[in-house]
Amino acid sequence: MRSPDIFRAASKGVTVNIMRSFLTMLGIIIGVGAVVLMSAVGQSMQGVILSQISSLGPKSMVIFPGQQEGGPNAVATGHDSLTFEDLRELEQLKSIESVAPIIFVPGITSYEKEEGSPQVLGVKETYFKNQNIFAATGRLLDESDDQGAKSVAVLGSDTVTKFFGSNDPLGKRIQVGDRHYTVVGTMKPIGSQFFQSADDRVILPFSVARDATGQKYLNMVTMQATDSFDIALEDVKELLRRRHGINNPKDDPKKDDFVVRTAAQASTILGSVTLGLTLFITTIATISLIVGGIGIMNIMLVSVSERTQEIGLRKALGATRQDILLQFLAEAVVLTVIGGIIGIVGGITFAWLLSFIVRHFLSTYLFAISPVATLIAFIMAFFTGLIFGINPARQAAALQPIEALRYE
Amino acid sequence: MSFSSLIQTVDLCKSYDNDGVVTPVLYDINLTINRGEFISIMGPSGSGKSTLMHILGFLDLHSTGKYLFQGQATASFGDDDLARIRATRVSFVFQAFNLLPRTTVKENVMLPLLYHPTIPPSEREERTLKAIELVGLADRKDYYSSQLSGGQKQRVAIARSLVTNPDVIFADEPTGNLDSASGVAVMQALQKLNDDGHTIILVTHERTTAEHAKRIVHIRDGRIVSDSTDFQRAIAGKTEQLK
Ligand SMILES: Nc1ncnc2c1ncn2[C@@H]1O[C@H](COP(=O)(O)OP(=O)(O)OP(=O)(O)O)[C@@H](O)[C@H]1O
Ligand SMILES: [Mg+2]
Repeated sequence: MRSPDIFRAASKGVTVNIMRSFLTMLGIIIGVGAVVLMSAVGQSMQGVILSQISSLGPKSMVIFPGQQEGGPNAVATGHDSLTFEDLRELEQLKSIESVAPIIFVPGITSYEKEEGSPQVLGVKETYFKNQNIFAATGRLLDESDDQGAKSVAVLGSDTVTKFFGSNDPLGKRIQVGDRHYTVVGTMKPIGSQFFQSADDRVILPFSVARDATGQKYLNMVTMQATDSFDIALEDVKELLRRRHGINNPKDDPKKDDFVVRTAAQASTILGSVTLGLTLFITTIATISLIVGGIGIMNIMLVSVSERTQEIGLRKALGATRQDILLQFLAEAVVLTVIGGIIGIVGGITFAWLLSFIVRHFLSTYLFAISPVATLIAFIMAFFTGLIFGINPARQAAALQPIEALRYE
Repeated sequence: MSFSSLIQTVDLCKSYDNDGVVTPVLYDINLTINRGEFISIMGPSGSGKSTLMHILGFLDLHSTGKYLFQGQATASFGDDDLARIRATRVSFVFQAFNLLPRTTVKENVMLPLLYHPTIPPSEREERTLKAIELVGLADRKDYYSSQLSGGQKQRVAIARSLVTNPDVIFADEPTGNLDSASGVAVMQALQKLNDDGHTIILVTHERTTAEHAKRIVHIRDGRIVSDSTDFQRAIAGKTEQLK
């Protein structure tokens, strides 16, 4: 029998009982659908994380005071290892293009009767450039605000909504701790950073924050490397170790009293998260496709014994062993391929719907699919059909014509 | 062995062996059938008619003795050789029609062409329609087999059996499930095939059906008890061995 004839016979075998074929495919549909959905979620999450990295720029670096384990939370532990002197020397480094020091200002923020606790940061002009922040209304802070220690503030978009609703905040006076600040501008929404809104923020001039907290150290420094962040990273470490009197030739992070993170490190972490997710998806895929394959094999075996007469007839009309083998094998493959296609469409549909829901909580979560994972799932479905279809197909092919015809 | 002998058996025996239970069915069958013959095989139920026909039609294998098809010993035929002969040389009309369910008349008739090794796909349509026309079902070609009467189904089966233009058509009680009128139509179709030169081997126990044949072979308890072209005596079942 020629291949188009085999394919046509197989398709007919599948479409004769649609409901049963659908139930047979269910395992494959769910397996492939799960893989497509999970990989799409993974892809979207990657997009979220990547958008954060790229919003800071690939050359961005961050220094925290304290030790590795503390990470960004070292802020709360009140490490005081990063000094203004450090900052001044960092600004001199050739490998660093711009340095933006940050001081966190504690205290309740209020406007009239409204109270809240947005993140309050004291920053220099460089901060806005480093973080790609743009003004929505009014203006951002500049050099003169810092030099003049002006009591002005710029608000994040969420903070504006919380305290002012739809009213114009410009020129209004808000209170942080026991001081008052005049709102001179608002920022365009940034989205979330590390699953936390970066839009609920009050930004003050650096000198004002220093004065308000009485702090002699920095909570965080963001930087942009001039060219290669490898060189910048080494320069920063060397500088801080020298200044802090740390002898650390083996680059042991436990000996340092500061932590430097780069966007590149973040991508590495992202890479390992992706790998974990991939392994997880592969496991799900394998298990569900094996289960789906066993389902297919069962139904195909039933189908072979139900259709013994048909097989007998085909043999009586001249079908060879190979004709029958290929017909039933093709049937199994058609089943899994259709199941795979339904699974892909279903998985993509769910991922698409999900992206609408998640976007409410995570504005940078965009609908995305993983073409590679989808393709692999499809190919695996195909081979599932081939592998689990071979046994029933062999049984069908081995039937003797007259015995098959007499079968009842 | 005459030049034109199509089928020849020499002391052909058949016994079934089901897990050690041996059932002898056919004994020392010596039969020669020539091209263009129309033979009826008659005999009581269980005498081995169908078994003989299945062996001659390559659906079953004999146990001992010889079966020569077109002068060739069939014992050496492998699986694929047998499939090829079934596809090209012989065809069957069964008592139970054996059409594919949920399949149209046209598709059923075309089915053997899918397995034919040499007829090109471009000829399928024409051959199929011609075969359907020959059995008078042109107006039913797109009907599903479930939408046909018994007689129509059997005519579809006949169309299917002739579509590959085989050397021999085997018909095992083709009218067994039909009323007499439909039976006549089916036999007329077979008769027409024989007139066109096809060899027809028919199993039946109905006299009227057997009367179409030019030669009648009687089987009883697995043995040929008469083989006659003398129609009256053959019908009467008189024993007469032809040499
Ligand atoms: N697979 C088998 N195993 C054992 N015995 C069998 C088998 N098939 C047929 N037989 C036996 O062979 C004998 C002949 O059967 P066959 O079908 O050839 O009879 P028949 O002449 O066609 O009868 P009928 O007119 O009823 O169709 C019967 O006794 C039957 O029991
Ligand atoms: Mg019989």
